[in-house]
Amino acid sequence: MKGIIKGLGVTLKSLTEKKVTYKYPDVPLKMPDRFRGIQHFEPDKCIVCNQCVRICPTECISLTGKKNPDPESKVKLVIDTYDINFEICILCDLCTEVCPTEAIVMTNNFELAVYSRDELFKDMRWLHANNTNIRKENTPATPKGGAKKDAG
Amino acid sequence: MRSLLEQNLSWTNFAVFLAVGIATLLVVLVFVTYAIYFERKVIGWMQYRYGPNRVGPLGLLQTVADVLKLLMKEDTIPKKADRALFILAPGIAFVPAFAVLATFPFSRHLQLADLNIGLLYYVALSGITTIAIVLGGWASNNKYSLLGGMRSAAQMISYEVPLVISVVGVILLSGSLNLRKIVEAQGPDWFWQWNFVPQIVGFVVFLIAAVSELNRTPFDLPEAESELVAGYHVEYSGFRFAFFMLAEYVYVFAIAALTTILYLGGWHAPFPFLQFIPGVIWFALKFSFVVFFLFWLRATLPRVRVDQLMGFAWKVLLPLSLANIFVTAIVKELLR
Repeated sequence: MKGIIKGLGVTLKSLTEKKVTYKYPDVPLKMPDRFRGIQHFEPDKCIVCNQCVRICPTECISLTGKKNPDPESKVKLVIDTYDINFEICILCDLCTEVCPTEAIVMTNNFELAVYSRDELFKDMRWLHANNTNIRKENTPATPKGGAKKDAG
Repeated sequence: MRSLLEQNLSWTNFAVFLAVGIATLLVVLVFVTYAIYFERKVIGWMQYRYGPNRVGPLGLLQTVADVLKLLMKEDTIPKKADRALFILAPGIAFVPAFAVLATFPFSRHLQLADLNIGLLYYVALSGITTIAIVLGGWASNNKYSLLGGMRSAAQMISYEVPLVISVVGVILLSGSLNLRKIVEAQGPDWFWQWNFVPQIVGFVVFLIAAVSELNRTPFDLPEAESELVAGYHVEYSGFRFAFFMLAEYVYVFAIAALTTILYLGGWHAPFPFLQFIPGVIWFALKFSFVVFFLFWLRATLPRVRVDQLMGFAWKVLLPLSLANIFVTAIVKELLR
């Protein structure tokens, strides 16, 4: 009996307490910095090493390169087209881990529902224009080349 | 109203009766709509969340949207179900709920039918809903439905006994079954003249039995949405299901009004200096408090198991209400 009265008191008090829900579509949902959303691409940094294509588990990245029109620079190839098939991208972040120049990085944008599947094939222009909420931390915690030194 | 009932039934009188009946039905339907909305809001706020707040301003049109959804659903009748009984059951559940509202005095001047046996009329009619529940469970041709219907009928029948017996204490104090005289006997001045003070045991027993009569938590095993598959109304879809729910909420209206009339002083003000506020407002405030208490109980308590439920009715509430009658009678005799 006493427990029932105490329980009634608890629920009455919780009428005035702060609510734990948030009003999501009206209020933006703040994600932590390391959240993996759709990628952002910088064509100037890309050296067309093809690592992202090789490591992608679903083979959603496809790219073509062309010879660098600038003969003075050390970079041999420049990126020509770069497409991510967002229908099968699993946002696993492996492409940003292997990229040596951080040309491809993840952002925190995930609200990307569209009405037609054509718009899900993200090309270089879209990926470059997608430059809000870029993740600050893009490389993995272990230093580059660490495992190779121990093995070799 | 009383004078109209005593005249011969002419076409004008019939039209007046029909209009008053429809007006009462509309008031009750608006009450049900907003009772469901406030139940969801209150239970939500007690659970650290907002209730419905998107449909319409502040979510006020949520019940309307739900009813529209139920209306648009397919009306399935199982193939081997007893068609006539299946179709009749929701109607039989709803009609007594609405018919009992005829005898309640909502204020000094607002009463539809001043029956000398108003209380007995309520008790008699509310038993018909039990038939409707068994009918719904049987006619669905579904063994779980039948079991749910039998359990619900057992619960409602066993809690009607302490409900009625606890009210006998009130009848002893007021000397009449007439609901208007019961309210008038609760003194116009102070709130301690209301019946819940001398009849505190009867009041508590009545409240518990009332919660169980309504099939609400903590006694809502027959319609436990998460446990049994909705018990006796599992085969009902769309508007027929809405009818059972409507019957339940109209009973909430009826029981809350009855509690206010029998124990909380009906339309009387709690202090004499507040008597300038009209009686209808006091009735509405007390009624709203009872309804809020029902929602508060639902948000707080866990569900009672069916054997604990029956044991509680027969072994605890019934002896308490009988003892209440004896003590009331003895005290009344001693004070004479």
